[in-house]
Amino acid sequence: MLTIKTIDDSNIHQRVYQLNLGPQHPSTHGVMHFILTLDGEVVVACDPHIGYSHRGHEKMAENRTYEQYLPNPTRMDYLSGLIFNYGYCQAVEKLCGIEVPKRAEYIRVITSELNRIASHMIGIMDFVMGLGAITPFVYGWDDREQILDLLEMVCGSRLTYSYGRFGGVRNDITQEFYDGTRRFIDRMRKRLKDYHDLITGNIIFIKRSENVGVLSKETALEYGVTGPTLRGSGVPYDVRKNEPYSAYPEFEFEIPTREEGDCLARYLVRMAELEQSLNIIEQALDRLPPGPIRADVPRFITPPPGEVYFSFESARGAVGFYIVSDGSRIPYRIKVRSPSFSNVFVMSKICPGHFLADVIAIFGSIDVTVPEIDR
Amino acid sequence: MPTPGQKRLLADVKSSLSRAIGEAQIEERDYRRTGCHLEVRLEGTGMRRAARCLKEKGFHLEMVTALDLIEAFELVYTYFNYQDQNLRVLVRVRLAREAKPYSVSEIFPSAIWLEREVYDFFGIRFKEHPNLTRIINPDDADYFPLLKTFGKTKFTAEIDDVLC
Repeated sequence: MLTIKTIDDSNIHQRVYQLNLGPQHPSTHGVMHFILTLDGEVVVACDPHIGYSHRGHEKMAENRTYEQYLPNPTRMDYLSGLIFNYGYCQAVEKLCGIEVPKRAEYIRVITSELNRIASHMIGIMDFVMGLGAITPFVYGWDDREQILDLLEMVCGSRLTYSYGRFGGVRNDITQEFYDGTRRFIDRMRKRLKDYHDLITGNIIFIKRSENVGVLSKETALEYGVTGPTLRGSGVPYDVRKNEPYSAYPEFEFEIPTREEGDCLARYLVRMAELEQSLNIIEQALDRLPPGPIRADVPRFITPPPGEVYFSFESARGAVGFYIVSDGSRIPYRIKVRSPSFSNVFVMSKICPGHFLADVIAIFGSIDVTVPEIDR
Repeated sequence: MPTPGQKRLLADVKSSLSRAIGEAQIEERDYRRTGCHLEVRLEGTGMRRAARCLKEKGFHLEMVTALDLIEAFELVYTYFNYQDQNLRVLVRVRLAREAKPYSVSEIFPSAIWLEREVYDFFGIRFKEHPNLTRIINPDDADYFPLLKTFGKTKFTAEIDDVLC
């Protein structure tokens, strides 16, 4: 009689082991470190470690005046630096009660939406490159390059902008910038179709991202997740709509959301946001009012004693500037609530149970900037 | 101006907070100037009761930070409600220099990292925190950078003299 011998597995010990992902790893988008506990290829625990690019921006604030601190917020989130730059200006304006001219608000909206598109371009393309698609990445950087050229015309720099001033912006936009932005909108709308053809319908991409890293609304609330990551879980929270600031109440735009909460949903939300940003820029260019670009603000400001919490929407979520003033020319304390800090922590909750390769997909879809986490 | 919906939730939050911690410490704030609708002042304890109460009303923990007031510490929590109405509540806890406050991490897991950051920069030790270790500064650091006494040199004192 035939007997089938099976392998006696009672002597084989199943052991979990630890793997260091990063800090030097191309798909961690900076110096991000994960200690993964693995059982075979399945993640048992994910422990993100941060702090490799800490530069002490909050301490620096206590040693310089409000004006001297202007370039710092840009360095926190270098991909959407302009939005941080304006956010800091708006927080100080709120603290001092400065009214900003309408033209300046419009210029801020145009440039920060351009910056948001540039940032989303990197976010999306880095995500798909993490999944192995190199070609879209090159196309995405081409589009981002157009934006950087446009922003260089008005801001003078390509990445670390310091264009916002208390009460307005540094200088007016030029006709060249105006025409260039118009051309860019037309170009980008055509390119968006290409991206959908290139990425969205790709079966490999869908297989890698659908039902991966599902984040529920409840977990998102408990972990303080904001931005496209939250909107991918079906919560329509966008600071631009919920707590309107600057000139945003004057424009018509939608807050795209998806119910699924997986990596694909977060990607689709970002793609939809690109279209909304283009709509906002178009409306702002159509209705750009004439007038001054900067309020009459003294060269050195001395805010009254008090405190302010100002919230705004960066490309990654709700940022908060909490400024405490003691009535001197140096801030008593500036605390930055950075969205990536909360967004990356939720990975310790959603990664367990997934394959090691899915960690890259989840991390890419959350789209964090490491210097913003560490500050 | 708060909308009718915000006023309703504001009254609701106020009454349940005053049941939990006492009425005298709750104050409405001017949103246009401070960015907060409500401010809660606490002395040493009560942050857990406030957190539990606010979680029931659909708030999420947005930020935790501390202020070094030389003679004391002040913990600052901001909660924001995006589910129902857009309302921000700021909870302020005054602490003695050596006090150990309770962690709110069992109510809001996001506080695990936020409180680690406060410990890392101010040396405030939270009670019943699952993993209170350094988060941004090196593990073997023996300093707390955001204390007002840290980093004061002759040079920075001169800057302060000129600017303040």
